[in-house]
Amino acid sequence: MFLPYSVVNPLTLIEIERRLPRAGEVLVAEGELVESFQLVAKATEQPRFGIVNVARELHLPPKKVKPALKVKVGEQVTAGTILAARGMLGERVSRAPFDGTITGYGHGRLLLEAPPVEVQLTALAPGRVARVWPEEGITVQTYGAFMQGVWGNNQEGYGVLQLAVRTPHQPLRARRLDASMQGAIVVGGAGLDAEALAQATEMQISGLIVGGISPQLLPKLAVVNFPILITEGIGETPISSAVFTLLRDLAGRETVLSAHWSARWTARPYVAVPMPAESGRVVEPESPLMIGSQVRALRAPLLGKTGVIAKLPANKIELETGARLAGAYVDFDGEVDFVPFPNLERIF
Amino acid sequence: MQTEQALESILIADCGTVATKMLLLERVETRYRFIAQVEVLTTINPPWEDVSVGVTHAIEEVEQITSRTLLSGGRLITPRDGLSGVDAFVVILSGVEPLHLVLAGLVKEMSLESARRAATGTYTVVDGVISREGSLHSPEGAWARAIRDLAPDAVLLVGGVDGGASRPVMELADAIALGTSLLGSEERPLLLYAGNAKLRSRITKLLGGLTEVEVVDNVRPSVDKEYLAPARDLIEQIFLEKRLQKVPGVETLSGWSNFPLLSTAAAFGRVVEYLWHREDNTNRGVLGIDLGAANTTVMACFDGRLYPTVHGGCGIAYGPLAWVKKYGLARLQRWLPEEISAEQLLSFLYNRELHPATVPQELSELWIELAVVREMLRTALRIARPVWNVGADISLYGDMMPYLDPILISGGGIVHLPRPGQALLAVLDGLEPVGITTMLLDVHRVAPALGAVAGIKPLAAASALSPDTLVSLGTVISPIGHASDGDTILSMKIQYDDGSELDVEAHYGELEVWPLLPGQQATVELQPHRRFDVGLGRRGKGGTIQVQGGLLGLVVDARGRPLRLPADGEKRRKLLRRWIWDVGG
Repeated sequence: MFLPYSVVNPLTLIEIERRLPRAGEVLVAEGELVESFQLVAKATEQPRFGIVNVARELHLPPKKVKPALKVKVGEQVTAGTILAARGMLGERVSRAPFDGTITGYGHGRLLLEAPPVEVQLTALAPGRVARVWPEEGITVQTYGAFMQGVWGNNQEGYGVLQLAVRTPHQPLRARRLDASMQGAIVVGGAGLDAEALAQATEMQISGLIVGGISPQLLPKLAVVNFPILITEGIGETPISSAVFTLLRDLAGRETVLSAHWSARWTARPYVAVPMPAESGRVVEPESPLMIGSQVRALRAPLLGKTGVIAKLPANKIELETGARLAGAYVDFDGEVDFVPFPNLERIF
Repeated sequence: MQTEQALESILIADCGTVATKMLLLERVETRYRFIAQVEVLTTINPPWEDVSVGVTHAIEEVEQITSRTLLSGGRLITPRDGLSGVDAFVVILSGVEPLHLVLAGLVKEMSLESARRAATGTYTVVDGVISREGSLHSPEGAWARAIRDLAPDAVLLVGGVDGGASRPVMELADAIALGTSLLGSEERPLLLYAGNAKLRSRITKLLGGLTEVEVVDNVRPSVDKEYLAPARDLIEQIFLEKRLQKVPGVETLSGWSNFPLLSTAAAFGRVVEYLWHREDNTNRGVLGIDLGAANTTVMACFDGRLYPTVHGGCGIAYGPLAWVKKYGLARLQRWLPEEISAEQLLSFLYNRELHPATVPQELSELWIELAVVREMLRTALRIARPVWNVGADISLYGDMMPYLDPILISGGGIVHLPRPGQALLAVLDGLEPVGITTMLLDVHRVAPALGAVAGIKPLAAASALSPDTLVSLGTVISPIGHASDGDTILSMKIQYDDGSELDVEAHYGELEVWPLLPGQQATVELQPHRRFDVGLGRRGKGGTIQVQGGLLGLVVDARGRPLRLPADGEKRRKLLRRWIWDVGG
């Protein structure tokens, strides 16, 4: 049976892609060893620009604008600079709306571009540069623990992993977040409330990992300044036992949290904990599904539960909805339930 | 390429957003039949990023079912070698990102509306509209920024009737040129020009040095004339070139096939067109609905003319969240037979998008899924209907649906519903058909595949299109009108093939189902109440019709048209529960 899969692995080969948002310069070479905060690539952001319609502002036909111009193409101006004036006493003037450089003129209009902003990309994880994508970025390779999430708020961070809950079912509350967590990647449990989110911001944590989160809170996650990764799904969902056990074992270690996410998982959030190792377990997605294979349920009422295949029935089984589907009996920490194949993923 | 006669076994891969369907069509004596159908995960997206991985898995499953060898060294054996392999392999695709467009034009309700209609003929998403209309200030900067920031695949520039306005169109073209010039050569959008014919050479001269320019006939050659076909065909062609042919792994599949790639919508459209010609009923149109994970396709055929509409990026899994932001949760909640909180509903929609291939395991989730189906159908129909050019004899009641027979229902969003009654109810609520309609369900998801086969061996497609292929749900009679709950609005005498008779009445507000098995026919005498039209020409007019049986039988949707739901939540939920019960859902 061919199922989707996620990686939740204590020691495996980790490949981290670092890509610039637009073409730029790669600063490291293939094979080079890099540190987390090392600058590996940079690019110039798209400049902000504006068109100043001088002809319209001076009430002149476009052909008569040129003599009225007070600036030249290539000249730098500050906000408020007079770009053109009409009449001896300057009865009508056209001013620059922001700081920038005049980069073009035509049809009675000036093109003004704001100064460029540089985007800098760090390695994020310590490791070896396995591949250089000229002008685009690099792939950093390392070994360690790796775990994929399902949703993130498109930020990234680095810090020591700390648990703020005792069990994966416990929601994260503000009182569990204190000053000792400043700069840490904090593990919550089954979601958090607005108060805990505000406290996390106040405590300046470096990242947050939770099983699920209320959909009403999602818009607020876009404006916090640290990465938040959801391991299972939206809603107050506990972190699955396989993921929580791994995170608990990794507490105290330097951890990378990338919460970059996009629809259809063209970017998928992850937690990586680099280790001083030279080898790890190989992920084999093509290996056959069998009794004992580790899986996770993807849909209510079992959403986010991890377990192992206990039985693969030959016949289709009827669900509460009336659908008859092929699937597997899964042992979720001692409790065996039937899950149809479309609602299962494998864990490697 | 093989001759048409030599094609005795055809393998069709239909790669959707979440599922890849693989069908094997073979000649068995004088007819063509589907002898194997499997469905596996589509592997276009990460972690695989190679569509051929899923296709290979699907072929392996077909090998297991048929005990035949189809692959050799990881490659499909074609042409057939004895009992191994197949004569032809066809690939149809829809599981890719739609084409992103920016529309630019002068008047929102005229040329821009036509541009939007042309764009909905295939898998597109309109990211932005730049319009001359209503702008008091000079918006060139904003227009250029929109082009640069959105970096669409293409800009469709329209505006000005032929020989009409020039300057405002050229202002738009100037801004598009500026926006385009600010993008890297790889990111620059194509410029599709379908405006004032007089400006073609100026537009080409202005933008030709910056990007690829394609010119087609004006979508609005005059104020009262709309001409969409050339622009629509061009956009379909670009979708094929820029999207389908660039799907990772598609090269591998093309290497196994001598036939061109086809979009699923185009293939589905062929089947709808064929059904119209087969029915040969000029008093009715034929409608096909394909509700997939990421797109909803509506194909309507009237007078032999096909009207294709794809609601790109809006299917059962991808799109409902964005839809809720636009229309609100209440429109979904009104279809729920039990109270479900906004929190639970939103969580469902998010998780459905995160795991698009999953199925509901609990009834409450099934109810939400059915509500989404209804609203996606209603939305897709709202987009599709303005394009239909329907004669007054087919569309008697303005805003209501024209007469349609049959309605073909396809796509994982509907055919995977657990019970046929659930599918029927969702379609009746979503489409609100009127009059007499046969409902065909594409249970085996073969309709797009048949459309693809029709392109290479029409006889094979026609012979495979049997009642076993597209399964009838039954005949639905939907009287038009309103009355008080419980009023008798239709009397019927059903005469079965075996000579037995049944005198029945349909009461307002009810969904009535009478047995008529698949393959059975019956003669039905209809006598509607004087205030109701059952599709026989006018209100109160009765008559005798032949009806076909189906999985549900003969259904009378006596809930009136347009459908009215009680405003009171508890009453509405009770009614919804009753309707689900009525259709055996």
